Amino acid sequence: MNDLSLAMTFSLVLLALFLSQKNKIGLEKELVVGSIRAVVQLTLIGFVLTYVFNLNNYALTTLLLVLMVYNAATVAAKRGQGIDHILRIAFTALLASLVITLGTLLFFGAIHYQPSEVIPISGMVVGNSMVAAGLVFNSLRDKFQHRRDEVEIKLCLGANAKESSVAIIRETIRTAMLPNVDSMKTLGIVQLPGMMTGLILAGLSPMIAIKYQIMVTFMITGAVAITTFSASYWAYKSFFNELEQLQ
Amino acid sequence: MPLLELVNIRLALQEKTILDELSFQVDSGDIIGLLGTSGSGKTSLFRMINLLQSPTQGTVLYRGKDTLTYQPTTLRREIGYVFQKTYLFGDTIKENLIYPYQLLKQEPDFQEITDYLAKANLPQDIITKKINELSGGEQQRIALIRSLLVKPHILLLDEVTASLDEENTLIIEKLILDQHQTRNVTILFISHNTQQAERLAQKILYLAKGRISFYGNKGEFFERGLNNE
Repeated sequence: MNDLSLAMTFSLVLLALFLSQKNKIGLEKELVVGSIRAVVQLTLIGFVLTYVFNLNNYALTTLLLVLMVYNAATVAAKRGQGIDHILRIAFTALLASLVITLGTLLFFGAIHYQPSEVIPISGMVVGNSMVAAGLVFNSLRDKFQHRRDEVEIKLCLGANAKESSVAIIRETIRTAMLPNVDSMKTLGIVQLPGMMTGLILAGLSPMIAIKYQIMVTFMITGAVAITTFSASYWAYKSFFNELEQLQ
Repeated sequence: MPLLELVNIRLALQEKTILDELSFQVDSGDIIGLLGTSGSGKTSLFRMINLLQSPTQGTVLYRGKDTLTYQPTTLRREIGYVFQKTYLFGDTIKENLIYPYQLLKQEPDFQEITDYLAKANLPQDIITKKINELSGGEQQRIALIRSLLVKPHILLLDEVTASLDEENTLIIEKLILDQHQTRNVTILFISHNTQQAERLAQKILYLAKGRISFYGNKGEFFERGLNNE
């Protein structure tokens, strides 16, 4: 694809603008700002990645990964506003998810600790984990608000904080993991994932692209599971004080 | 030593005083009817005794020891609390009735459950039913049995018969008295029904605007006509 072809794809955004204006949706400004931001942000990250890939420095790569996790944690934490220590919980859960997932891939030799491999892979891991963590916090906050009676009745029967919350925790984990499980079930039938599509468009054989996609699918499943379990089991404690009273 | 003692309790929630200057003692085996107008702090008092809430000021002593120093789970197993609003969790009645055993890390004693069901005038096969298949009266009886299976020494009952007909009310009262007679369970119950208080209570504690306006023998309370306050 040459630059002119790329520029011409903007005509699709113009179509969206036309439809928005014609139907008085009021999204014209948002579409223009969004498109400009996408181009600027992606161009900038293109320069940064080119620089980092060429530098091939372990410390800088690790620093970028930590920054990536921190940014994702701040976004996920917004879904759990009001939960004590939410940023710390989100950061720890996302970091644990990345370390274990990346560690496993490195251990089995699926990837190498090079910025060109580690950074895109980590982006996928952290991005999916961030969405899962957000779902966890949202679900916990909602369930602890609407099911206070259930939790307090269990406390009255002599349950501790964990025993009184275990039903809520299990439902939360299911809620946060289901989108990933559903997506895994429909891979190749309903959707061709972005990464695999990108590799095929870049000229790679579909069979090789599929191998990468299978690795990425398993990797994301593991990452989402680690995030949902750790975030749920850390975050539920924030709903109780030291006397095991609901806050 | 009294079984339960409240010393100069004050409870404020969001800067609003709910209970104030509250001091009284409960002896083992007492049956105390807690009466008072709506919003007088009766439920808050129960929540504090059960440690679902801490007092803003003052001390709640159970067996001479500050309740705040107990392991919360230990204290709550000794002081059972049945809510006004019946809440059965999970899908089935069985889940609710074996839950206390799971908490105590014990095998469910189905003979004990059967005995309680018989005392509560409930059919034995009710255990296999879904929670939404039960009437309000049946659900409240199951909630009470669930609390009794933990074998508390004190039982706090928050208007447990408020929404029940006379037949169900009398069945629950009989079960409460049975626990008092057979296991010497100390009972504190909230009621708006003075006839029920007269039937069940030995003592009356009357709360008005978060303060005790009467605490003493039932006979004296009804003689003075304080229930009309």
